Amino acid sequence: MIRAALALVIVAFALAADGDAQAQVQTRPYRIYAITFRGMTDVEKGFQDYFSARRIPVQITFRDLNRDNTRMPGFLEEIRRTKPDLVYTWGTGVTLGVAGTYDQVDPQVHITDIPIVFTLVAAPVLAKVVRDLKNPGRNVTGVFHVAPTEAQIRAMASYRPFKSLGILYTPTEQNSVVVVEEVREVSRRLGFSVIAKPLKLDANKKVTSEGAADMVRELKQQNVEWLYLPPDTYLGTIAQKTVIPAAMAVGLPAFASTEQLMETGAVAGLVSRYHSIGQFTAYKAEQILVNKVSPAKIPVETLTRFALQVRMDIAEQLKLPPPLPMFNYAELIVPKVEEAAAPKQ
Amino acid sequence: MGTIRVRFIIVALVVSFFAVGMAAFLNYFKYKSTISGIVKSRVLVIGRNIENSVQASLSVGMQFMELGTMNALLQREKASDRLIRGIDVFDQTGQILYSTERPRVGEKVANSWTEAAARSKTTEWGTEAADEYVAGISLKNNFDLTVGFLAMRYSAEEVERAAKVAGREILLASIFSFLGIALIAPLALIVVIRRFERDLRALEAAASHLEDRSEPALPTGSAFDSAIGNLRSSLRDANVALDDLRAKLDSVS
Amino acid sequence: MLEKNYLWRIYWRLAGVIMVCVVVALAVVSYFSHRVFDRELVPETEQKAATVGASVRALVLKATGYGIDFAQLYGVEQTFAEVFEENPEFAYMAITNTDGNVLFARGTEPIGARTHFRNPVVLQIAHETTDLSKAARVGQQYIVSMPINDAGKPLGVLHVGIDAAFVDHVLLEVLLDVVVVLVVSLFFTLELLNFMAGARLASGLGEFARQADRMRSGDFTATARIRANDEIGRLLRRIDSAIDHLNVRYEFLVGELQDKLRTASAQRREDLKPAQAALEQISKRLRFGSAPEAADGDEMNLNRIRAPLFAFILAEELTRSYLPTYVNQLIVAIPGISPQVVIGLPIMLFMLIVALGQPYLGSWSERVGRRKAMLVGAVIATFGFTGTALAYNLYDLILWRSLCALGYAMVFVAAQGYVLDRTGQQNRAQGFALFIGAIMVATVCGPSIGGILADNIGFRASFGVSALMALASILAIVRLPTTEVKLAVAKPVRGPRMREIMALIVNRRFMTLTGLAAMPAKIILTGVCFYLVPLYIVSIGNTSSMAGRMLMVYAVMMVLIVPLSASLSDATMRRDRYVSVGLIISGLSGLLLLLSDSFLVLFGVVFLLGLGQALSIAAQSALVAEHCQDEIRIYGHDAVYGVYRLLERLGNAMGPLIASLLVILWGYQGSFVALSALVLFCGIAFTIATHGPEWQPAEPAPS
Repeated sequence: MIRAALALVIVAFALAADGDAQAQVQTRPYRIYAITFRGMTDVEKGFQDYFSARRIPVQITFRDLNRDNTRMPGFLEEIRRTKPDLVYTWGTGVTLGVAGTYDQVDPQVHITDIPIVFTLVAAPVLAKVVRDLKNPGRNVTGVFHVAPTEAQIRAMASYRPFKSLGILYTPTEQNSVVVVEEVREVSRRLGFSVIAKPLKLDANKKVTSEGAADMVRELKQQNVEWLYLPPDTYLGTIAQKTVIPAAMAVGLPAFASTEQLMETGAVAGLVSRYHSIGQFTAYKAEQILVNKVSPAKIPVETLTRFALQVRMDIAEQLKLPPPLPMFNYAELIVPKVEEAAAPKQ
Repeated sequence: MGTIRVRFIIVALVVSFFAVGMAAFLNYFKYKSTISGIVKSRVLVIGRNIENSVQASLSVGMQFMELGTMNALLQREKASDRLIRGIDVFDQTGQILYSTERPRVGEKVANSWTEAAARSKTTEWGTEAADEYVAGISLKNNFDLTVGFLAMRYSAEEVERAAKVAGREILLASIFSFLGIALIAPLALIVVIRRFERDLRALEAAASHLEDRSEPALPTGSAFDSAIGNLRSSLRDANVALDDLRAKLDSVS
Repeated sequence: MLEKNYLWRIYWRLAGVIMVCVVVALAVVSYFSHRVFDRELVPETEQKAATVGASVRALVLKATGYGIDFAQLYGVEQTFAEVFEENPEFAYMAITNTDGNVLFARGTEPIGARTHFRNPVVLQIAHETTDLSKAARVGQQYIVSMPINDAGKPLGVLHVGIDAAFVDHVLLEVLLDVVVVLVVSLFFTLELLNFMAGARLASGLGEFARQADRMRSGDFTATARIRANDEIGRLLRRIDSAIDHLNVRYEFLVGELQDKLRTASAQRREDLKPAQAALEQISKRLRFGSAPEAADGDEMNLNRIRAPLFAFILAEELTRSYLPTYVNQLIVAIPGISPQVVIGLPIMLFMLIVALGQPYLGSWSERVGRRKAMLVGAVIATFGFTGTALAYNLYDLILWRSLCALGYAMVFVAAQGYVLDRTGQQNRAQGFALFIGAIMVATVCGPSIGGILADNIGFRASFGVSALMALASILAIVRLPTTEVKLAVAKPVRGPRMREIMALIVNRRFMTLTGLAAMPAKIILTGVCFYLVPLYIVSIGNTSSMAGRMLMVYAVMMVLIVPLSASLSDATMRRDRYVSVGLIISGLSGLLLLLSDSFLVLFGVVFLLGLGQALSIAAQSALVAEHCQDEIRIYGHDAVYGVYRLLERLGNAMGPLIASLLVILWGYQGSFVALSALVLFCGIAFTIATHGPEWQPAEPAPS
């Protein structure tokens, strides 16, 4: 009885305190200045949905670069003028444009006095956005969207176990080189072999798609069981037209590391749903705006649960149906194009 | 003699009561917890189906507050097992968002539910209400933030009925065993006690013949023989010495 | 001595008979339980199999819904494996097609499964459109079968096999607990026999044997004792009267002789010479008259202390196997202190209060009277247990546990004083054997029963049971004699002074014993038994009952080995060797965890720990008297032992603290290993330090 009474008193206090905070919040919405790169995506939708679900009043000003970096100085000037509570940046390029790398900040150009939350930066440390994921140490924090390499390998193995893995990558993209190294490290631990083929460079040291299809065929001859598509920008542009058709022709399944690569025709991929990324970014924003935590103390994280996507039509083509347990948790994609592939439910 | 016998038999009865009682208690509670566990895991299978569904929806970007198909899903799952009385989905504040019973939507759940959910270290939790059990699962989104809770109410009747039946049988078995002991143990004990009582009787007999001048009795095989023998011989020696003195005194007068 | 062995032999025989009867009764109860379990649990599990099966079936239908051919499904066995993990009672799962042929299967196939699958009744199931499931006994399993039906089109049948032996597995867990109950019952029986019949019987038989011995040595002095009115009492009274008769005869004869001598003439005197000579002979050999006041204390009432002490210590011991887990439940984050350490705080505080209170409570209980002191202590402890049962969070738990500690210290010290009061030089060791014996039996019975209670009725109710036990002990304390006995040589007992404490701490000989032997022994005892075992066992998902069983093993080792080692070390006089060996064995105990990961290794750990502690504990305190004679001369016996006990009990308090810090560093298993290594190191250091010549056994000092 005493316990219950005490509990009631404490709950009453808590509610009272909560009510107070609500009252304060209600009076003035938070102002967020959001800069996107190619218009509104699901990330922004998730970002906004989170605030409305949590009933946090926000006023978001969206500005779109539309792939044109020359617009950036204008936006920076507007930020300085309007002094929003928070700045939201989409992608590595935008983030670096607003905040600069951690070792080369120019206070005249970059924003240093307003908290910045970034999203969809594939490799924050590598891109020098923050020094350390756990302790950003500056007014910048955010969310990255690539699933850990080991998680991806395990997802691949859960679809079909494998002893040998093939990778195509762009040798001039720093990010891809790092990922290939990570895959090699995981391979040593989990006990499979890796054959990584860099795409060819032309005379000006620029990457080209020449010979990519042959490389795929070679990999198949070398008995790899999966083709891994790392989060590689150039690869993303040639995957649908060149790489995937070659792989399908030799019956080699491909595994995608991002949602865009999934769309090119991989049979499976471990991706972050943009909507969830947006929500998580909003969660970080909530820590800064509502809970008044400094961005320097908020760790840069990614999702804990990724979406395992499976293209059912490609699985059927390859005669590789997903294992039964996957039907419980995987996102089974059936392109609405052909009638024959429509699910019978 | 009687009191010792009675006292030892009381000891036997008390100990047997304790042992048989504890054994019955253990069996009953084990039974009850096993049955509860089986029933609960049945309910949780349903719960996990719903959990999967919710997570799939959240994954594709649907809002937890606006899962349109939820009510239909809950009805379908409830129908698949007659044990479940009702399924509710409620949010952090305890407000019910979806339910198999229309009127409940918008109401608040009992505090014990939210407390149990907060206290649990895993995503599963449970609590008890008046005549039903509640098995719950905490629903998390893609970055492990708890967005809401799923609670399945199922009737305690099945478990209670089963426990009562089993309890009755176990109780009968224990009473039967205890009565058995109450009959057999004293008989068995008496065999041992008799030996003991015989020794004590030998003592008593020896005691009444302590001052006899007669020769020591034949050993009765009791454990006290040597002690009694010593006693008698030392008494006899003392008496003999005093007799001698008496004689010497008498001879003088 | 004749009567001691005799009586205990009787007890053991009686206990044996009772135990046999109890075993039979328990077997009957178990048999009937098995029948009930079989009858009721199997249908419930079949229901569960149906539900689980329906879920798997839905998954299969989802897959076929995406166009995958039924027979071409991939990874079905994986799903089965996941089901087995969640439901260990299921032993087999299979999917058959409409012809009854097995397409996918996993687990142990029961004998006769294949024929069962082709049975027309079973085949017919595939064509059922409802959610029906059918159960049948096939070989060693119960198989539940349900149709896999895709909108009217029969695809096949799903089978789930339940291991018929799973009921046995469920009951096996109960069986372990029943064995514990059996062991505890045995000790209960001995205690109860002693309680119900023992006191007067034992003292009466003892008295009888002593009388016989005295008379054999020629002592016929009359003792002015009041005899009880039972069998032995009557015997003793007869002996008394026989002695009285002798005395009367003797006095009469002596008086007559003296009369005659007085009134005798010279010739008469000559004649009386042989009589005189005879009298002289007699007085040389035999003694008559009244015996001096027995300085032997009050043996009959001495035995009365055993029951209340047992009940009270039991109340506290009940909590051993689950207290840390309970603290974990109520824990409140204290900034700056790791939660691991916070869990140990109540235990540490308890030990600290007992350690610091003991020296001063001794004189207090002497002043107010032992019985009253015990009453006060038991009442305080009862409040403490009740409060613990109702505790809201960590803070008030600490308050209630402090009350328990205070009560515990009061009762312990008062009981000790009670024994001291009523024993003299000769029977002091016996008296303390009784004291220690009651405590050790409580440590055997307590943790195991406590663990069982905690698992079944919950922590709070179990503390309630402790409160009830404390209440019961109050009832037993009330029956203690109200008259206090003070020995003539009673010295005022006081706590050690700071000056003495400081002086002894820097004394090398004293600290070799205390710092390298006594304190490490206590540190590993409380660290392992009170902190690590209960927490570790629960952290790997096992139950408080299992923790209780392990603590019981430790206590049983102590009960068995301590008397043995006490008499052996007394006999050989090489007490330091016993302490060394004991320490080293204790030190090796935790290292067993390096050999294997299984928690069963813990049984070996507590076994070795019990062995080591038993070997060293008896010899340790006697060693103080043996080797610190100079210090005893300077500071006095009380002061030296007072400081020794104080430091030893501080070791009790340090145990959980050190263990919790080690857990933070290296986890539970690492903590076991590190703690043992520490004690091993101390043991080796002790052995080396006591190797020198000054440690050779000197003449035993008068204690």
